[in-house]
Amino acid sequence: MTRLEIRWPDESAERIRVARGRLERAGETLRSRSFEDRLAIVARVVADWTAVDSPWRRELAEVLGECSGFHPDTVRKSLDAALLAWRSEDLTACARRELSGLLASPGQRLAPFRWTAILAGGLIPMPTLLSGLLPLILGSPVLMRPTTEDPVTASLLKRSLAARDEALANAFESVSFPAHDPALDELLAAPCVVATGSDETIRSISARLGPDQRFVAHGHRFSIVVLGGGIDRGTGGLEALAEAIALDVARWDQTGCLSPVLVHLVDIEPGLAEACAREIAAGLERLSSSMPRGEVPIDVLASQRTEAREAQMRAAGDGTRCFVGPDHCVVLEADAQPRPAPLHRFLRLVPVESLNELERSLRPYGRHLSNVAHAGLSESQEVELERRLVPFGANRFTRPGRLQTPPIDWPHDGMPLLTPLAGWLQRDPWGSC
Amino acid sequence: MSRARIENEVLAWMEESPWKADPARFERLALALFRFQFAHCEPYARFCRSLERTPAKVTRIEEIPAVPTGAFKEFDLRSFDPVTTIKTFRTSGTSSDRRGRLHLDTLRLYETSLLASLGMTLLDDPPDREPILRFLAPPPEEVPDSSLTHMFATLLGRRGGPESGFDLRAGALDLDGIADAIANARRVDRPIVLLGTSFAFVHLLDATAETEGDVWRLPPDSRVMETGGFKGRSREIPPDALRTELAGRFGIPETSIVNQYGMTELGSQFYDSTWIDPSGPRRKLVPPWTRIRVIDPATGEDAPAGEVGLIVVHDLANTGSVAAIETADLGRSLRDADGEAIGFEILGRFEGAEARGCSIATDVMLAASQDGDPR
Repeated sequence: MTRLEIRWPDESAERIRVARGRLERAGETLRSRSFEDRLAIVARVVADWTAVDSPWRRELAEVLGECSGFHPDTVRKSLDAALLAWRSEDLTACARRELSGLLASPGQRLAPFRWTAILAGGLIPMPTLLSGLLPLILGSPVLMRPTTEDPVTASLLKRSLAARDEALANAFESVSFPAHDPALDELLAAPCVVATGSDETIRSISARLGPDQRFVAHGHRFSIVVLGGGIDRGTGGLEALAEAIALDVARWDQTGCLSPVLVHLVDIEPGLAEACAREIAAGLERLSSSMPRGEVPIDVLASQRTEAREAQMRAAGDGTRCFVGPDHCVVLEADAQPRPAPLHRFLRLVPVESLNELERSLRPYGRHLSNVAHAGLSESQEVELERRLVPFGANRFTRPGRLQTPPIDWPHDGMPLLTPLAGWLQRDPWGSC
Repeated sequence: MSRARIENEVLAWMEESPWKADPARFERLALALFRFQFAHCEPYARFCRSLERTPAKVTRIEEIPAVPTGAFKEFDLRSFDPVTTIKTFRTSGTSSDRRGRLHLDTLRLYETSLLASLGMTLLDDPPDREPILRFLAPPPEEVPDSSLTHMFATLLGRRGGPESGFDLRAGALDLDGIADAIANARRVDRPIVLLGTSFAFVHLLDATAETEGDVWRLPPDSRVMETGGFKGRSREIPPDALRTELAGRFGIPETSIVNQYGMTELGSQFYDSTWIDPSGPRRKLVPPWTRIRVIDPATGEDAPAGEVGLIVVHDLANTGSVAAIETADLGRSLRDADGEAIGFEILGRFEGAEARGCSIATDVMLAASQDGDPR
C-alpha cells in the first residue's frame, strides 16, 4: 500500500484556529464561574508552584536545566529564589485591590476578552507563568506561543491547572511554531495580545494589530544597583553586600530584565570603589561553583572579550580596574561614559559624583530601565533617587540581592497586574429620556 | 631596527608581484615593529606591560599584544611625535570624542598598500584598458577625515581617467551621472568599476527598481566593490542577497562583485577573491604584509583551523600607530585541500537565536543612538 504524504503548509495556522475554537467554548464555562472562584483557583495553582517541595517547580527546573543553555544548578537556584518569593495571598490581595472597586460598581462590569494571545519571550519562566494565569482570573481563555527554546513551561502550567481545575485547564492552550511562520497572523487576531520581546519584536507586532485590539507589551529592559557612601565598610558588611550583588548577577546568568548590568557608585572614594569591585568579583568567583555560568553564545563571548580587553587597556592608563575570572568580568570604570554591557556575568561599576550625574549618565538608554537596587544612601538620597529614575521607567526599588526576586504583585513595567488585561462594560441606569 | 628601515622593507614587499607569503620575513618585521611601537607609543606600552608582554618576553607573533579597535576611541595611539601628524582618519559617529582615530605622519604606506591590494585583487587591467572608476561615496572636501574617501581619492588620482569621479554629493546619489558614465562606458567599450558603501548601493538599487531597459547594464569586465555595513542608513540586506540584487541590476556575474573588509584603524584592506579566482570559494585574500589570526574569544589562543573566532589583524602598514589589532568581528580561516591557508571569511550577525532572557545589552541601546558607516 502506498503511503500518501501531504505537506500541509498551513498546519500551524490550522492548529491555532482549532485551538481557538476549543478555547472559545472553554471560555464560556470559564466565565460562568465567578471572579472570586477563578481567583481562588489560580491562587491555589500559584501556591502549588511556590510550595517548598513543589513538584512542578522541580520538573521545570530539571527540564530547563537540560535544554535552556543555563547550568542546571543555576536554573534550580534562580527558579527557587524567584518562586519562593511569590505568595499566592499577595496575588489575591492584588487582584481584589485592583478590581474590587470596579466590580462593586453598579454601572460597570467585567467584559472579558473572548481570548487572549500570549507571545512568551526568553527562557526565564516567571513572566511566562504569570502571563498565562492572569487572563484566566479575568475570564479570558489563553492561547500561548512559547519560545522555540522552551518546550516545557507552558505544558507544565497546563498540567498544574488541570490538577486543580479542569475548566481552567481547558481554557489554557499553547501552540509552538517558528518565529516567522505565517500562523502568527492567526494568533495576532486575538482581541487581547500580550507580548514579551525586543523593541524590534514589539514594534513589529504592534504594527500588525488593529486599533480595536488590546496590546500589552513588555520590552527588553535592564536593572541597576546604586551604592552610596553609607554602605557598611566593614569587611563582613562589604562582603555580604558584594555577595548579594553577585547573586543578582549570577541568577539567570544576568540575562533577565531584573539583572543588574551596572553598579553606580555615588560619591564613593576610589579605595572603597575598588574594594567593592574586588569583593563582587570574589563573590562571582565563589558562585561559579555553586551556580555555574551556562553556555555562552560565541558572539557574546566575543563581545565580552572585546570589552574586557578595552577595559584592560584603560586599566593600564587610568583608574579603571578589571577583575576577570573564568566565567565573569567585573570592571571598575574611571568615568561614567556609556559603554556596552554584553551580559552573561559582565558587570561594570561606574563612579558618579552625585545622583544628578547618575541621571545624566543614564540618559542615552535610561528608558529601558526596570528595577533599581540600592544601599548606603541617606533617606533624602533615596527620595531623590526615585524622583530622578522613575521618569526613566524605573518601577521597583529594592535592596541588593533581591533584584531577581520581586513579589508576585510587582507592577511589571509599571503596569498593574490585571487591569491592562481586562475589558470593561458600562451599563447606564435606565431613566426617563 | 629603525622605523625607516622597517618601512622601506614593507614598501618593497608591497611592490612585489605576485603575492607570496613569507612567514619568517613577516615575523621578523612584525617583531621589529612591535619593539618600535612599544618604545614609542606609551598607551600601547602600558597595555603590554600590564599583560607582561614586553619586547624582552615576546618572541612570536602570537605573543604580540593586539589592541582592541575600541582603544582607538579612548587613546591617541601614535608611535610618533604628535606635531608631525599630517592626517587623522576618524570612524563615523555622532559624538566626536567617541570616534576612533587613526593618526598618520605619512600616507606612503597607506596608499601603497591600497594600490597594491586593489591592483592584485580587483583592478588588474592592462594599462591600455584601464576601467572607468565611479565612487558612490562623498568626495574628500565633504568628508576630509574619512579613510574610505581618501582611499577612493587616491585611487582616482592614480588609476582614474577623466571619466572617473565621485557620484555622491551633499548626501545625494547622482543617479543621472552614474547612468551617463555607464552609457559612456558601453559606448567606448571600456569596463566600469563602481565602488562604494553597501548602503549607497542599496539606495541605488531602491531608487532604480522601476527603471526599464538596460540603463544599468554594465559593459563586459565591469565590476562592483562594496564595503561597510548599513548602520541604519538604508534597509539591511544580507551579503548574499545584496550580491544577487547587484548582479541582476548591473547584468554582471556575482563573481564580479567584490566585498572589501577594512576599517579606519587599519592601513591595509582585504578583498574578496572572486574577481581573480571566480571558480574558487569566496574568501578574503590576505596581502603578505598582513597576517590574520582567528582566536578563541574564551581563551585568546589561536582557534583550531576552520573554527569561528575573533579576527586579529597584524598589519605591517600600521607603522605609525599599532600594528596588532583585535577586531570585534567573528570569522574563520579557510584552507585548501592540502591544508594551506587560502584566506578568511567574515561572519555576519548570528541570526535566528532568540534571546535567552529579557535583558537588553547596553550595546543594543547605545547602537540606537549612533549611526554611520564604520569609516
